[in-house]
Amino acid sequence: MPAFVPTPLYLVLMLASAQLALSTPIRVVSQTVGSDELLLAVAEPSQIAALSHLAIDPSFSAIVKEAQPYPRITPGGDAESILKFSPTLVLFANYSRVELVEQVRRAHVQVIVLDRYATLADAYANLRLLAHALGTDARAEKVIADCTHRVATLEAKLRGVKPVRVIAPSIYALIPGDQTTFQDLCDHAGAENLAATIGHLYGHVSPPSEQMLTWPVDRIVVAGFNLNEAMAPLRNLPPYSLMPAVRENRAVLIDPYEISCVSHHRIDGYERLAHELHPEVFK
Amino acid sequence: MSQNRNWLLPLSAGALALLIVASLWVGDLPLSPTRVWAGLWHHDELAATVLWQIRLPRLIVAVLIGAALSSSGLVMQAYFRNSLASPGLLGVSSGGAAGAVIAIASGWSAVSLFILPAASIVGALVATSAVLILARRGASTERLLLAGIALNALLGAITSYVLTGYTLTYERNAQILFWLMGGLEDRTWEHVWVVLPVVVVAALLWPLGRSMDLVSLGSEEAQSLGVDVRHLHRKMLVLATVLTALATAVAGAVGFVGLIVPHSFRLLSGPEHRRLVPVTLIGGAGFVLACDLVARTVGHLRLGIVTALIGGPFFLWLLRRER
Amino acid sequence: MNALEINHAQVPARLDNVSVTLGVGRVVGLIGPNGSGKSTLLQVAAGLLPEGKADVLWHGRKLEEIPVIERARQLAWVPQEARFEFGFTVRAVVAQGRFAHGDDERGVDDALQRLDLWSLRDRPVNRLSGGERHRVLLARALATDAKLHLWDEPLAQLDPRHGLNVLALARELARAGRTVWFSLHDLRLAHRLDELVLLQRGQLRAAGAPSTVLTEEALADVFGIRLRPAEGFDLEIY
Repeated sequence: MPAFVPTPLYLVLMLASAQLALSTPIRVVSQTVGSDELLLAVAEPSQIAALSHLAIDPSFSAIVKEAQPYPRITPGGDAESILKFSPTLVLFANYSRVELVEQVRRAHVQVIVLDRYATLADAYANLRLLAHALGTDARAEKVIADCTHRVATLEAKLRGVKPVRVIAPSIYALIPGDQTTFQDLCDHAGAENLAATIGHLYGHVSPPSEQMLTWPVDRIVVAGFNLNEAMAPLRNLPPYSLMPAVRENRAVLIDPYEISCVSHHRIDGYERLAHELHPEVFK
Repeated sequence: MSQNRNWLLPLSAGALALLIVASLWVGDLPLSPTRVWAGLWHHDELAATVLWQIRLPRLIVAVLIGAALSSSGLVMQAYFRNSLASPGLLGVSSGGAAGAVIAIASGWSAVSLFILPAASIVGALVATSAVLILARRGASTERLLLAGIALNALLGAITSYVLTGYTLTYERNAQILFWLMGGLEDRTWEHVWVVLPVVVVAALLWPLGRSMDLVSLGSEEAQSLGVDVRHLHRKMLVLATVLTALATAVAGAVGFVGLIVPHSFRLLSGPEHRRLVPVTLIGGAGFVLACDLVARTVGHLRLGIVTALIGGPFFLWLLRRER
Repeated sequence: MNALEINHAQVPARLDNVSVTLGVGRVVGLIGPNGSGKSTLLQVAAGLLPEGKADVLWHGRKLEEIPVIERARQLAWVPQEARFEFGFTVRAVVAQGRFAHGDDERGVDDALQRLDLWSLRDRPVNRLSGGERHRVLLARALATDAKLHLWDEPLAQLDPRHGLNVLALARELARAGRTVWFSLHDLRLAHRLDELVLLQRGQLRAAGAPSTVLTEEALADVFGIRLRPAEGFDLEIY
């Protein structure tokens, strides 16, 4: 993924200008669901001007309840739909539309573009970055401390446990391999993502349908709100319909947002998946 | 009977002026007319930013691509002697799409605002050269059409491949789809510069009007009546290609404008190109501006969707009318 | 001086070494079975087939040396098919004949009246019958004021009245010193023209006065019919 600016220098410049801007009340607009979650973790409520339109969508957001009271940007909106909240700072990701980011910059509004969000360490770095821009460093540290504690506890529980071999099929003919948020989940939940280890797949790609039938899948991981509903389409879709794990219903369910979360809330996913795959450890 | 039609040009120009005013006034950020006025003169900072950086570039791009696509369609219809011809027939817009899609998928488009339009133009020019080479010197319109069909299919396959097989993230897919539908969100002054040559090209089109009358009724007949058909055809093809390539580069694949606008204005204004060229330019600009206004006010639709929703049924109605 | 001279016209699979000479002030017919190359020969004569090899001279001048715009003033060509995609008025289409003359309006109204199109002058051409469309093409050719006229099957869709009118028009043009060469299928009519050119399978079979071209032998061989000139029923054009 090409970073279009040298990130450390960029951050320094942004932080410097943020210091200067601290005298005016801070109003932040977040344009992506990942930055929504970061913002809600470290900002004072009065600093939040608006969130992305996905903030209250349970399929994507870890913070549906917390996000309710805040206004949201119109989906697919242009720069005006962001500027109408009179922000002093706007949060984007590196996959936000270049023109949109540029238009907001040209309105002389400070912009932070998050371009590293693959690992938990990235999430911590983003929390600190954001908190520093908002003057709430203490909050960030507390959140990070809580998260570190949770991860450490989980790690301790899972020590010595045999990894469960899993895949995370989807009906879109794509499967997550290595270097995805799902891989991160597996790494922290005592699971082995066969798409990465046997399949040698990277990112979201089409799986080798025939070879997959030979993979020794212990459990299928699906995302949804109801296990049966989530499994139903797979029972009719080759090659999944032909896999023993599907036919024997050896599946676990996690929340939709957990499989794609890029913020620190992914720890929810770690814990959820670990509980589902290794119930004996949590008795 | 020609007196009847002389009101069409001033009427279209007036409508365009009204649409321009409306486009400055309407937007996600509510601005009263006084604030709009103040913003235009830079007396109100937020309003000035919104007007000068957001609404004005978008408005200018809309006008220029409307003029470009409609006049390109007009030329194609005269070239192929068929009122159902459209700018995309020769694969220019597919080439532009392929170029843009590759730029987005590879991540290069994030480097600079000029890269996406540039990639699109390169794609469009490669596609057109391919058509011209495939069709060879002195090619009949039938051969060109077939070459265009083949190229459209090939480029569509490339775009699909990139969409389904290549992107690492869903978000890039979303961006590609976003671009493919055609839209004017967040157009900047860079986009205006890219599409500004349309003005020059349209000016080059104007004097060809009389010859296009003859050629639109038959190329051999036109030759025997004194038109240098080979040169004229070449000019027409180049102009139509450049217009389509520029429009696609800054707005994505916006459909139906090149088909509907010239066809409709021909029905209203008559087939004489000396009158039809200016009317189509202005009418096309107004049509796209109106569609963009609709797109902005009615729940954030994209321009390509609005032109299709209006254009599709309108086109069917036209077909029924003719038979 | 000859109005039209074609030397060794060669078009692959269509014309094989055809040479024709037409004098000034003549009405000449081009006959032959379907597929014998009549349309192709007229196109070569009109300079519309650059890929065919031929040495063509108009009134003594080599075709390659005449600029495109001047060619339009010298020769009028009427195609076999009259297809109009767009709704120009009849008058507008006929006026296109003046393109090479700087779009002046001279002779346009006369041409309309001569081809009995005055009442149809404001009608869009794509709403005309087949015969009416052909008359529009002829009126346009007339408006060009050319000295050489090449018409491809002008009589095919015309009713008897209009067909005879066109023949009378050809005769008038010839009397005014122009040359009209057109293809036709009606052999009795062909017999009444000044000269005939007979094509068979892309080759010149005969050329000259009708009595020398339309021999019993030629008719049987080329057309596969048994005919001979006889006394009695005879049509004369006046």
